[in-house]
Amino acid sequence: MQEGKPLDSRQVNRELLVSILNSPKWFFGAIAVLGFIVLVAMSSAGFMINQGFGVTGLNRPVMWGFFITNFVFWIGISHAGVMLSAILRLSKAEWRRPATRAAEILTVFSLMTAMTMPLIHTGRPWRTVYWIYTLPFVPYDYARGIWPNIRTPLVWDPSAVYTYLTSSILFVLVALIPDFAVLRDRTTGMSHRIYGMLAMGWQGNARQWKLQIIAGVLLSALILPVFVSVHSIVSWDFGMAVSVKSWHSTIFAPYFVVGAVHSGVSAVAFVLIILRYIYGWQNYIRHEHIDALARLLIVVATGWFYFFVMEVVFGFYGREADEIAVRNLQFTISPWNIWMMIFVGMTYFLPVSIWLSKSLRRNLWVMSLACIFVNIGMWLERFLIIVPGLARKQLLTFDWYTYRPSSVEWIIIIGTFALVSMLMLTIARVVPLIPLYDIKEGEILRTEIKIGRVTVPAVFRED
Amino acid sequence: MAATEPKGHGQHADMWVFPDASVMTADMGEKTNAMPRPFTMGLAVAGILFILGIVGFVARAADDGFGEIGPWGYYMAIFSMVFMVTSGAPLAAVAFRFTKSHWRRPLSRVAELFSIVGILNLLMFIPLVFVLPDIANPGEVAEGELAVRRTIWFEGPIGAPHAWDLVGVGFLAITSMAILWISVIPDMAECRFTATGFRRTIYNKLSGGWFGTKRQWNSQKAGLALLGAFYFMTLIFMHFVISSDYAQSLIPGWKDSIFPVIYTITSLQMSLGVILVVMFIMRRWGGYEGYIGKSMFWSASKVLLGITLLWVYHLFAFFITFWYGRLEIEQNIIKYLVTDTYAIIFLLNLIFSFAAPFAVLLWNPVRRSAWGPALAGVLVLFGGLMFNIRIFVGAANAAPGADLYKPIMERVPAPVYPDIFDVFMVIGGLGAAAFIYLLSTRVLPVISLWEVKEGALYQKWGKLIRGEYLILGKPE
Amino acid sequence: MVTTNRIDHKWGMVVDLDRCTGCQACVVACQAENNIPINVKSFYQQRRAYQWIRIERYWEGEFPNVKARFIPILCQHCENAPCEPVCPVFATYHNDEGANVQIYNRCIGTRYCSVNCPYTVRMFNYWEPKWPKSLRNQLNPDVTIRTRGVMEKCSFCVQRLRRGEINVERRGLEPLTGERIPVADRKLNHRQMKEGNYLPACVQSCPTNALQFADQHDETGPVKEHFEEANEQIETRHHGGHVDEDHTRVYRLFEEVGTKPNLIYLKKVDAFPLEKA
Repeated sequence: MQEGKPLDSRQVNRELLVSILNSPKWFFGAIAVLGFIVLVAMSSAGFMINQGFGVTGLNRPVMWGFFITNFVFWIGISHAGVMLSAILRLSKAEWRRPATRAAEILTVFSLMTAMTMPLIHTGRPWRTVYWIYTLPFVPYDYARGIWPNIRTPLVWDPSAVYTYLTSSILFVLVALIPDFAVLRDRTTGMSHRIYGMLAMGWQGNARQWKLQIIAGVLLSALILPVFVSVHSIVSWDFGMAVSVKSWHSTIFAPYFVVGAVHSGVSAVAFVLIILRYIYGWQNYIRHEHIDALARLLIVVATGWFYFFVMEVVFGFYGREADEIAVRNLQFTISPWNIWMMIFVGMTYFLPVSIWLSKSLRRNLWVMSLACIFVNIGMWLERFLIIVPGLARKQLLTFDWYTYRPSSVEWIIIIGTFALVSMLMLTIARVVPLIPLYDIKEGEILRTEIKIGRVTVPAVFRED
Repeated sequence: MAATEPKGHGQHADMWVFPDASVMTADMGEKTNAMPRPFTMGLAVAGILFILGIVGFVARAADDGFGEIGPWGYYMAIFSMVFMVTSGAPLAAVAFRFTKSHWRRPLSRVAELFSIVGILNLLMFIPLVFVLPDIANPGEVAEGELAVRRTIWFEGPIGAPHAWDLVGVGFLAITSMAILWISVIPDMAECRFTATGFRRTIYNKLSGGWFGTKRQWNSQKAGLALLGAFYFMTLIFMHFVISSDYAQSLIPGWKDSIFPVIYTITSLQMSLGVILVVMFIMRRWGGYEGYIGKSMFWSASKVLLGITLLWVYHLFAFFITFWYGRLEIEQNIIKYLVTDTYAIIFLLNLIFSFAAPFAVLLWNPVRRSAWGPALAGVLVLFGGLMFNIRIFVGAANAAPGADLYKPIMERVPAPVYPDIFDVFMVIGGLGAAAFIYLLSTRVLPVISLWEVKEGALYQKWGKLIRGEYLILGKPE
Repeated sequence: MVTTNRIDHKWGMVVDLDRCTGCQACVVACQAENNIPINVKSFYQQRRAYQWIRIERYWEGEFPNVKARFIPILCQHCENAPCEPVCPVFATYHNDEGANVQIYNRCIGTRYCSVNCPYTVRMFNYWEPKWPKSLRNQLNPDVTIRTRGVMEKCSFCVQRLRRGEINVERRGLEPLTGERIPVADRKLNHRQMKEGNYLPACVQSCPTNALQFADQHDETGPVKEHFEEANEQIETRHHGGHVDEDHTRVYRLFEEVGTKPNLIYLKKVDAFPLEKA
């Protein structure tokens, strides 16, 4: 499975640090454009907060729309980090090596972006901020003895997401220590001091490496329950609702988690292809890695499809008129049924058909398209769960309505994509997006054996 | 033992075994033919349990007939347990082959041999076909009753669900035996020259044209992959069908989309557990330590730990969704299956399917040993038995008579305790499965010769810097 | 905490669909009493009209045999309210008198309560409420004005109920005559509520008495017998019997969802039922 020529350490350092030590011209243009989009989105949000929610397309009964969909979507993207770095590290898959850092960083930024969504979507965000964030000055509520209602999934949400955010940041920083040391040794001045602080005195001796490896394994194992719980808790925002029958399904927790892994890993595959192109990392992000990611995605996508089918089948199973009404909207009424077909095609049938073919797996243009499709499809999935459920809430047909997003919502959604891209590009200037020592470790561990007349690539294993 | 000393680095000593390909065939042939004393005693015990099971079954049939489902709760539970364990086991071989896990090689045949018990599954399922109530309300549809009770078959095509379920279980048995057959052809072809008697006849008949050409190997590999994927999908589907028809549909008001998933996870957990138990016995007492290194236990126990955690996670997802809204329909289901009626069985289920195996598998040294994962396997098997009793005895007795056609369960029924014939049937089912499995190990080699030899080609012992480690070839 | 000799009522409302004509007097009265923002045309078009009580109109049959059916829907003040456990700031809770109340100051506007309400009776302030200058004197000083971003809904005119409790139970004054009530008899009953205008605005304004409101335990009140019948129905169902729906008018909306509303509907008696095909 190891194609490509062996790389020596100096070459690894030089090539992977190119994003940090050099300043390509296109970088400033890209940041300017993305930054502009983010600014426009922020002003839209400001406009919305100033004028009131009337500027959105929300109404009664559809009180949750694009913002909540986007929130769930970005939490979903954040699941790639743990999948690729923690799970693949624990299962010792060699092909994870170039992907882990980019995945972990994407996790951190998508979590941060996701958390802006519930904030701006509350009716009185100024009071929300006051309620949450003004510790250590005790906010009004707590000073009067009204602590948050822990029975509500809306409080479980930030608890889980912030735990995940904290542990992901910790994970990234600890994993970055050896790379910070490499950067410390190659910079001067202020950068040198900052990298030195972050490298925490790393000398690369045997004892430190041993501790580093143990820390990596421990953090991977400890972050796994957090990873599973985060999207489960986000799904329980919907699963706990008793009046929206199509949401009140026990399968929501694993369904959303597997969906999150699906969209997250696709997003990481896409990011890797982009990185390979813009920084010239053909030696590091090789076709075999994209191939392996695609094969992992076949399994994840099929698991997701199983959960999706279960959800739909048991939706019809109850034969409750209110739930059938929602399913009718989703499957028979235009334009929802068209979105439904597009969503299922883009999330499962089209990408998996592509991924089943070896030559298509190794074609990077096709792969990027497939990964984009998956993410569009998963965004649509969340939308098609949330809005039709609310549009046909119970059998009071007098209150049935639909939802048409306004331009404010569109701008803010696009703004979140621009925000994550901008953050990723900016962090590429500070932190190597492919872990240097992981690649070097991979090089040390790789070898060859001869079987008969054939030379087969091999790897050293301790357990 | 057809192997050199087990090797490993540091705390991972004894991890790797390096079986010697040249003596493997003769060694396996010997082991397959042998009938050592402990083995025959095990076979005898299993046989006696089997007979007791038949006694229990006949007594139950004579007493209660096949008209009502209530008395057959424990029979349903043991069918489900044997079905879960033995249909899930070949999946372990399929799945680990798919992920190219190098440590799976000794495990494959042990797992695939469980497919022969599929015949028992099919036979045990036949009475259940008669016992399952009709989907359509047989009597007059009274006020507040449904004309057709809730099932995954909705209005019910012809023969649903009874005939379809039977076809499904049979199909599953056939597919898994096909996987076994394709997997065992190279071994039979190799052993037929040294085998004698009935074994020689069987090997000759079933592996006639195999010469080990490149084309045949490629076809075999493709066949195993395709059939494996197909088996996987069929198995998941049959889990969904059995868990819905024989459990969820029988308890009115239980609309639970995660239950088939919990059923599948319990099945995977138990299958992996039983495989670990068998491999431990083989290694410890069967003389197979040359083929089964610690690495298999080290890696498989990680998977078992993961599945155990997934089990409790899915259980919690079900519980919290039902508990949260304080709706009476859902509260009744929780009272019935979790907190009131079958509370003790549920507690045992939780302890033995989650708490105890988790406590055992958490520790690295325990996972590195052979007895640790085997102990966890025994625990999860017992936990799975409790799960099946809770669910299926609960389902059979939830809504007697016309209550089954009500949309919700209005009263929480009392628990149903087993009588002596129920106990006979439960232990009989376990004994029957063990009996058939043990017999099959005398016919077919229980270690997959070709896979282990293939693995031996890819393994070498090498030096890196100052330590000695396994070098693992990765051709794909 | 001030200890009072507070008597805990258990408020209940009965809506008699046989008497409801769909005149919307209750809607207007509620709007006037509770400082509900003026619903301009765009609000209706955006489906954001504020109506704490709304008359839903359903058409039955095909032309020319068409009938209009009216049902007033307001907050059902459920005992097992799905909106209560999901508010992160405890802005909605169940008070001792059986009503589900909203605390506007605490609300941060996540709208989960509305999402979880099966009757969709909860309104969200999508815009900053504005009244033209001329209408500002019409605002009820007893009721808070809500800002944008806050959820609101029917409160059983809690301001009127409180006023009734203060005047009759605390001060001990008969509403019409003003004479003192002996301490032992100070319990707000239906007659006093009617005389003192302490009934909710919708109940007070209904021209056909389709809306009835009283303490569920009040012997003299109009709702006690209906609630007793409704509770009996629940008991019957709980013990596996079934309720003969053709011989009773009492029902609760979406009973099967399990929210246990404190509001009962009485079925319309069809003088000229449409023929069922």
